Amino acid sequence: MRKLLITLFLFGPFSVSLHADEALVLIGHSTLQKTDLATLQRLYRGRVVSLNQQAATPFNLPPGHPLREQFLDNILTQNEEQYSAYWLVRRYVGKGTPPQELSSPEEIIRAVSTIPGAVGYVPLSKVPAGSNIIFKR
Amino acid sequence: MNTLTSMKYHKTMFPKLLLSLALTLPFGASAVDINWSGFGTAGYTISDQPYKYQRFIDDHGTFKRDSVLGAQVDFKFNQQWGAAVQAKLSPSDHSDTQWQGVLSWAFVSWRPTDDLLIRAGKLRVPLMLNTENQDVGATYDWARLPVEVYSIAPTTDFVGISISKSWYLQEMEWTLDAYTGQATNYTRYYGREMRDREPSPGSWFEKYDIKSSGLVLTARGLDNVFRAGIHEAVISQPDGTVGEIAYRPLAPGVGYYDVANGTRVEQVIVPYQSIGASVLIPGNIRLTSEYAHIKVTSASRGLTRWGAYLAVSRQFGAWNPYIYYAKTKSSEASLDLYRAINGNINPMFPPALNNYQKLGADIVSPYDQSTSAIGTSYRLTPSSLIKAEWSQTRTGIVSSFVDAPSGGDSADQRINVFSLSYNFTF
Repeated sequence: MRKLLITLFLFGPFSVSLHADEALVLIGHSTLQKTDLATLQRLYRGRVVSLNQQAATPFNLPPGHPLREQFLDNILTQNEEQYSAYWLVRRYVGKGTPPQELSSPEEIIRAVSTIPGAVGYVPLSKVPAGSNIIFKR
Repeated sequence: MNTLTSMKYHKTMFPKLLLSLALTLPFGASAVDINWSGFGTAGYTISDQPYKYQRFIDDHGTFKRDSVLGAQVDFKFNQQWGAAVQAKLSPSDHSDTQWQGVLSWAFVSWRPTDDLLIRAGKLRVPLMLNTENQDVGATYDWARLPVEVYSIAPTTDFVGISISKSWYLQEMEWTLDAYTGQATNYTRYYGREMRDREPSPGSWFEKYDIKSSGLVLTARGLDNVFRAGIHEAVISQPDGTVGEIAYRPLAPGVGYYDVANGTRVEQVIVPYQSIGASVLIPGNIRLTSEYAHIKVTSASRGLTRWGAYLAVSRQFGAWNPYIYYAKTKSSEASLDLYRAINGNINPMFPPALNNYQKLGADIVSPYDQSTSAIGTSYRLTPSSLIKAEWSQTRTGIVSSFVDAPSGGDSADQRINVFSLSYNFTF
């Protein structure tokens, strides 16, 4: 029982918080090339729709997810309130909607492997072998 | 099919065409990403004056000035093609007693490259900083956008085409918008003694056809935005528009202004310009200022005016208090004309003729007022906020935002207005 509890502690729902400060990388579909920070920021703000002239579709995690907060802080230099306010205005001036949200890094990995042009962020430790890392800070 | 029928056809058919396009384009139903959203404002406003200000505000209080409910559907067919439809329910733009549902916009967008966006359909003019999102109270912190500036444009909507070209220079995105299209606009007039076709005081609405075009340059960063635009509207009515108010002499030094039988013109060309900026300065203080100018050479030449405001705000957690000062003033020539007609009251005239002079003065539609306001917003959730504001408006010679009482005028008035609203998106 004690071993089970220790196992649950290490690998259960708390595991996300243990890796909250882990390196975050951007992975993309195999058709995409590496990109730079400025282009990535524009992609997630709806100001560009391609990376190196390849159509790109960004994916987000839901608000409140620790990895999303890390992504907003490290990559977009915004907090959740600022990012949400930015997209609120952008939606209601008719310039698009925010990136689609997926519930977990695992779903992002699945989307990136199957959807042409898909881009998403995941912890470095969860990146499958052979993945196309298009940006790493 | 004449112009008016054509425009009505576009208003009713375009959304149906848009929906058909969304359902039958060869992208496959599964490829269409459809996103629903909505917005609304429940706003209560009350003043300390018995007469109406800005159509609805008086000492009885009203929900009509600021309340609105809207919904929007965004279609994303792929990264290049999209569409959007927005509808809203709000007080009618051609009746003071009715509410109406209208399409704010309904357009198809094409983005062939990252830096080029083409939109066609019913769109909103990129005029002032918040013109495009003015109906969505949750997107700005003021209880009400300064009317001195945000009422200047003859129309904010058009059916046409817009092309946007963007450049990235360091941290700023520069966008040049070019647009052209047409719209129908209703201009409200208020006669304090009589109306255009009624011998009693009240409001009426004139319908105008407007063709508008413009160029707008916007520089936008994360914290700051700058915008400047030049626009031109060509305004017409089926039977022409009164260009000059005629003066009919009756005897030496005695005569009357005859607005109904003035010189008619086929169309009026209206140029207008705008410039504005919102910047974040040290101390996390935001400064926002805008200026607009318009020139109208018709009987309503009081519409030739400038408007400007300066706002200061600072965020403290969920609170965002602000103050602003706004002013608008018509040209001296139009104010002089207003004073001449308004003062042309002769005890020898029958009452109906003196009332007719007041009507002429009211139709000139001049403005001379300033507003000081202090208020705050409080963000309840990421998608909702409460706003409260107290403002004081002072009129000078006249203000056509005021429904002046019979036997009086709108000069030298002081109007205190309190506003409270709940603004949300979903």
